[in-house]
Amino acid sequence: MTSTRILARRRLGATGAAPHVTAPPRRRRRTRGFVQVAGSVAAERLRLNVFGHAYVGLGAVVIALLFYLAIAAQITQASYDMTRLQDQQRQLIAEQDQLRYQEVTLHAPAQVQQQATQSGMQRVAPSSYVAGQEVAIDLSTPVGASPADTTPLWLRAVAAVVNTVGGTQTVMASTKK
Amino acid sequence: MLVVAVVLAGMVWSRLAYWQVAQHGRLTLQAQAQYREFVPLPAVRGALFDRNLKQLVVNTTVYSAFVSPDQVAPGDRDRVASGLASVLGVDKTAVMKTLQSNSKFAYISRRFSKTKADQLRPLKLPGVGLQDETQRSYLPGIAQGTTLAANLLGFVNWNGDGRYGLEEKYQVALAGTPGYISSYRDLANREIVLGTHTHQDPVNGSDLVLTLDANIQYAAEQALADGVKRDNAESGSVLIMDPATGGIVAWADYPSYNANDFNHTDAALFKDNVVSYVYEPGSVMKIVTLSGAINAGAIAPDTVINDPGVLSVGGYRIYDWDRRNHGNVDYTYVLAHSLNVGAMKAMLTEGHSAFYNNLQAFGFTQPSGIDVAGENCLLPPKADQMSDSQYATTSFGQGIDVNMVQMLAAANVIANGGKYAPPHLVERVGTHVNPLLLQPQRQAISPETAAKMTAMMQQVVQHGSGWTSRIKGFELDQAGKTGTSQIPVNGQYTQDVWASFVGFLPAQHPRFTMLVVIRKPHYPGSDRDWTLNDGYMTAEPIWKTIAQTMVVDWHITPDSQ
Repeated sequence: MTSTRILARRRLGATGAAPHVTAPPRRRRRTRGFVQVAGSVAAERLRLNVFGHAYVGLGAVVIALLFYLAIAAQITQASYDMTRLQDQQRQLIAEQDQLRYQEVTLHAPAQVQQQATQSGMQRVAPSSYVAGQEVAIDLSTPVGASPADTTPLWLRAVAAVVNTVGGTQTVMASTKK
Repeated sequence: MLVVAVVLAGMVWSRLAYWQVAQHGRLTLQAQAQYREFVPLPAVRGALFDRNLKQLVVNTTVYSAFVSPDQVAPGDRDRVASGLASVLGVDKTAVMKTLQSNSKFAYISRRFSKTKADQLRPLKLPGVGLQDETQRSYLPGIAQGTTLAANLLGFVNWNGDGRYGLEEKYQVALAGTPGYISSYRDLANREIVLGTHTHQDPVNGSDLVLTLDANIQYAAEQALADGVKRDNAESGSVLIMDPATGGIVAWADYPSYNANDFNHTDAALFKDNVVSYVYEPGSVMKIVTLSGAINAGAIAPDTVINDPGVLSVGGYRIYDWDRRNHGNVDYTYVLAHSLNVGAMKAMLTEGHSAFYNNLQAFGFTQPSGIDVAGENCLLPPKADQMSDSQYATTSFGQGIDVNMVQMLAAANVIANGGKYAPPHLVERVGTHVNPLLLQPQRQAISPETAAKMTAMMQQVVQHGSGWTSRIKGFELDQAGKTGTSQIPVNGQYTQDVWASFVGFLPAQHPRFTMLVVIRKPHYPGSDRDWTLNDGYMTAEPIWKTIAQTMVVDWHITPDSQ
């Protein structure tokens, strides 16, 4: 059986854990950056006093201010340009809409007809004919005998009474031809 | 002392609580109004196209001029008023009055064209501003001051809401969803770019492709206007349908209006008589009655009956239109000569219950469901609530009210081989096909019955009341039926009529079904012979004119050639 402890020992070495050997501390190289070197050199040469530092600081602030103003001016100009272009775009869209309407109207049936009429054109009805043929109904057949109302007398009497009381009861020839 | 301090502190706390809790919402909104800017981004409203993708409406930009009188110096007032009056044509005195009012804002003129705006801009009038707005511009109609299919399309009001017709029905799909930009602003009203900035793009409205044909629509409007004027009628309408699909090809009303100038239009003209006006269809209904009876096996086209010219039903004596005894006639003759007695006998042979079922099958017991706003219908009472006389009069189209869409859809059953094609106007919404087109059509009557009725309707044109609709070359391939019904007023029938004609062409392979209805015609000479107001003199010639145009435009050829 190989227990986890044995495996751990095997991993560390057959003879058990080796004594921890600490590496000798690496000596840290002390180097100076270019900026530090240049800064110290400049300071040594300029030999700035407190006022000098103040002037430099003020100069930096002024430069920053000018930079800000330049940027702000550019932004303002850009915003003006944007507004102008947006306005121009709106006008162009409006013009495009108008042209689109004109284009659509040119193809409108009313316009087409007007132009056709001006050009002397007119619609023609189809001129082809189809030969006639015999029909099922013989219209020469005489109509039947005179009207023979087969309604019972009592029903006519009731209808007459109802007509008198309730107004016109006769449905007229309301669905002529 | 302590009590006083507690009371004072309590007052302060309660006041704080009032502002911080009770008034929190209102104050937040007020504060946001100062530093938060909300710019709506309007969605572009969808366009409308006809079946040939011809655009029927265009979104255009119009302008409104406003003035801030407090920003116009007294010395500039005259110049400003003169400039506005000369360009916009407004009353100079009224403008001067506005400028002297010292108010903050006032409109000078609304929704004028870009041309005027371009003239106004270079004047650089102080205190005057231009506001651009979107407007729907519709195609010109048959006459100056009308637009094409105005009653059908409706219009869009100044709030951007569709009113009437398709614009109202499809408001949601057409309008889309507006977007917005929400950002912070500093004291100088400059945007704080680093602040919270929300940008929601608008979703533009969907385009609609209609089943309408702009050319046929125009021809229909023209023929209708001419016909209504000739007949001295109150109004008229034309409805044309594709028999196979139920798609509406033309939808014309006269009188109509100018949808581009809806705000100066009499509101009564907005009403769409095709779908919102109910009328008694008259003898056109006989094709429904006889079809039902044939389909039920109760009668056949050659079944002979005796027509003495009158029939008593439920205590009422109901006459044929000519009050003549026609003797023994078959049902083909009954339809060709529009005999009321024959229609009633067919209904009685079939039975009330079967007749009512037939009304249901042809779609008269429910609204047509067409996709246009404002459908109006007056449904018949339930089967057991209808009296014998009502059944009798319904069989020849009186005592029942329908709208034109219902009637045309019912007549189209014959043209469509017995199938009920749901009437509709929109073929596609954006890229989606109208789901109605994907559904199977209901078989109302058998194809054999439809064929028999077609043959009977051909006889109407060849030998009956449909003779004035005959088109050269199609004399034997035309099916139709007239209808003339008296208009009831306060329960009494008057001498005014609704005259109509329905027909399809070519009879065996129909390309269109058309219904023409003329309301209260007074045909020249009808004061001496009022039968001149009948459908064969008023509606049929209009039908014929439009059908001739369709034959040419759609290259329709006769079946029998």
